[in-house]
Amino acid sequence: MSMTTKAAAPLGSTDGKPQTTPEPVQQVNEAQQDARPETVKQISPPSVFVNSEPIREEQVQNAVKFLSHPRVRDSPVIHRRSFLEKKGLTKEEIDEAFRRVPDPPPSLQPSSTNQDGQMKPTSNVQTQVPQPAAAAPGAVVSRVGTLSPSRFHWYHALLAVGLLAASGAGTAVLIKNAIVPRLKSWIRKVVLEEEDDLVKKTNSKPSLAEEAAAAAKAAAAAATDVAKASQEMLNSRNEERRHFEELMKLLDMQVREMKSMSNSVQKLEGHVNGTGRTNSVDQEDYRFSNSISKQSYVNGKVDVDTRSVRSSSPPISVEPPAPPHPKSYMEILAMVQRGEKPSNIREIDDRPPNPSQQPSNPRFAPIPKPWELSQAQNGSNQLLQSQGVREALDYKVQVNGLNYLEDESSVPWGQKKNVRITEIANENEVKTGTSGVRTSDLVQRVWVPPQPPPVAIPEAAEAIRRPKPSAKEAVKQEELGENQSVTESSGVTDELQRITKISESGGTVEINGGGVSSLNSSEIQEEQEHGHEGN
Amino acid sequence: MPIFKTPFNGYSVKFSPFYESRLAVGTAQNFGILGNGRLHVLDLSPTSPAITELIAFDTADGVYDVAWSESHDSVLVAAIADGSVKLYDTSLPPQSNPLRSLQEHAREVHGLDYNPTRRDSFLSASWDDSVKLWTLDRPTSIRTFREHAYCVYSVAWNPKHADVFASASGDCSVRIWDVREPGSTMIIPGHQHEILACDWNKYDDCLIATASVDKSIKVWDVRNYRVPVTVLNGHGYAVRKIKFSPHRRNLIVSCSYDMTVCLWDFMIEDALVGRYDHHTEFAVGVDMSVLVEGLMASTGWDEHVYVWQQGMDPRAA
Repeated sequence: MSMTTKAAAPLGSTDGKPQTTPEPVQQVNEAQQDARPETVKQISPPSVFVNSEPIREEQVQNAVKFLSHPRVRDSPVIHRRSFLEKKGLTKEEIDEAFRRVPDPPPSLQPSSTNQDGQMKPTSNVQTQVPQPAAAAPGAVVSRVGTLSPSRFHWYHALLAVGLLAASGAGTAVLIKNAIVPRLKSWIRKVVLEEEDDLVKKTNSKPSLAEEAAAAAKAAAAAATDVAKASQEMLNSRNEERRHFEELMKLLDMQVREMKSMSNSVQKLEGHVNGTGRTNSVDQEDYRFSNSISKQSYVNGKVDVDTRSVRSSSPPISVEPPAPPHPKSYMEILAMVQRGEKPSNIREIDDRPPNPSQQPSNPRFAPIPKPWELSQAQNGSNQLLQSQGVREALDYKVQVNGLNYLEDESSVPWGQKKNVRITEIANENEVKTGTSGVRTSDLVQRVWVPPQPPPVAIPEAAEAIRRPKPSAKEAVKQEELGENQSVTESSGVTDELQRITKISESGGTVEINGGGVSSLNSSEIQEEQEHGHEGN
Repeated sequence: MPIFKTPFNGYSVKFSPFYESRLAVGTAQNFGILGNGRLHVLDLSPTSPAITELIAFDTADGVYDVAWSESHDSVLVAAIADGSVKLYDTSLPPQSNPLRSLQEHAREVHGLDYNPTRRDSFLSASWDDSVKLWTLDRPTSIRTFREHAYCVYSVAWNPKHADVFASASGDCSVRIWDVREPGSTMIIPGHQHEILACDWNKYDDCLIATASVDKSIKVWDVRNYRVPVTVLNGHGYAVRKIKFSPHRRNLIVSCSYDMTVCLWDFMIEDALVGRYDHHTEFAVGVDMSVLVEGLMASTGWDEHVYVWQQGMDPRAA
């Protein structure tokens, strides 16, 4: 599906963002400088939901080191990003690190406009914009890159050979100078000793005694040496044992990690259909087996400290123990993993009988949420952002209707309906007036004969919502640089964007089809008047 | 208090935003491992029996989550374990259902959320690491958000900003997105373990809560997301779902594999303000009614759905 690939690859997406969307970013910055998250009058996106921190150079450098590691290079991009995210890096920092790493992986970002990437040879490799000019220097760079290691090899080999030769020559010289004379002298010594022996035999007794004494001393020294050696051996054994235990611990950790890795491999491999939900099951299963090995939890509930802690709790470094699963759950899990299918499953055809069936017309207007009402009360006269803007049916039943709703007793739906319809009809009348008439709306409520319920005909609603796009609209579409084909998505996203912009800008944007925006303001005024408690 | 017994293991429960006596329950056979599913639409009544089934829809695979449309009072959306998203209309005769079966996700769809402000679109979170944006009138998704490195368990629209939403994933991060932007706008590496649920504060649009396998719930302010506003401990096992109250600013309800449903007030020192242990298996779904203050419902693998008023005992007759 073309949809999925286009929205993929976060790697390149924010690359393009600073260049393709300069205006919103600027406005975002301005909004942040104001330190007022609730900007209403500006045509800027909500700035609080965007990272406003500057890029931390230290973090970026750490990330670059991480990414440059050869083993990391082999891992998929998404794992690298995930790791960095867990370390607390922001998206901008991660993107910057990816930019800096010398041989970045190619991205799937077709709309990226890194045209000044030719300045930086690295980012050339990133962009896959179908520009042969950009592609060629990129290819050259990569080729040079592959050549240099091989050249390095030659030099390396040459150096090695040279070193060997030098060392060979050196040893030859050494042998000649040092060892040969030693040999000669040793031979001479032996000859001389033989001669001396004859002389020495005459000095027998005292030398014998001395020799015996010397031998005894030597024996004693040897014995002490042996004792020392055995002690050392004992010590070393102890150390070895300790090392061995540490090794065992490390091995255990590694085994655990390997288990988790094999689990993740399974998950990655398995787009499992028939073998069931091994996914979350695995997560719990793995921990379950872990808990068995740790023997930390037995069946039944654990006495839990019911008092919550407001301050930060100590970081949980150990895998949390698995909750005790129901027995039948484990049975079914085992069955499924063996490949058996539980017997209670039926063949059910749940396909839509008529895929183009239209939903039935809604019977009621959407009911405002309690938090919307209280905010209308508390807030200023300015518009709330992005309240759902649809046609007349959408929106804002008045307080009277709500009072009925809160009553649990069975008020017939018919009655309520009439009330609501009257209110809606009232609104219709009210909103056709100009926005300047707001104050008068507050004071009086004009009785209007009830009109037939405005039935929501989706096509009509869309027609109302979709005036001819102005030049402004077209510019907005480009700015946002959506990856999707304009034909397919422009309709809805256009609506969504425009609708939000309208409501955010306080209804100043001109639209064919009447007071869609003034709908908001007039309704809110009426709510303020009634002062409904929503909190 | 109404109690309903479902044939399959409960996975999700949601109150209707139009009818305060109506709720939908998504269930899956064999604990959701492998088997059919069923989507129940239940009705509460002041007379006995307190809770009845209006209609039920059978599905070939388990129903992991359910969401009511905010624009059409009779339409609901179901997240199916075979990767499809199905639309149902309770006003149409049963043989006309489902309305649609949207098959795009490559793996199980685990979470759904309908846009409460713009009311025309909804999101699906899937184990194929992606989030998709849909509207009722289109047969294909509008956008796919693919950045998470692992299963996305939950997705939640911001109650005030119609274009902003958050997604919680098994890659231990929460991502904030804006549908107008190509990628995520913020990444919160919130926990050391998988994050199973997230929800926005309805009265402070910058606060978001996350629930994790590490048994804790953390509340974050997106303006300063490096450090949580608070950490709520008290559950004995992984926290499966959380919801901010639609009526009270600081109230959070959560359900967990420790079989309890807990109420928290995250602004006070002793945050745990209520604990309900009515379930006898994992409590997997919980919801608070938008129309009736204090009304909440929960479901779990013990095949029961409980609906009760805050402060009362869910098991009381």
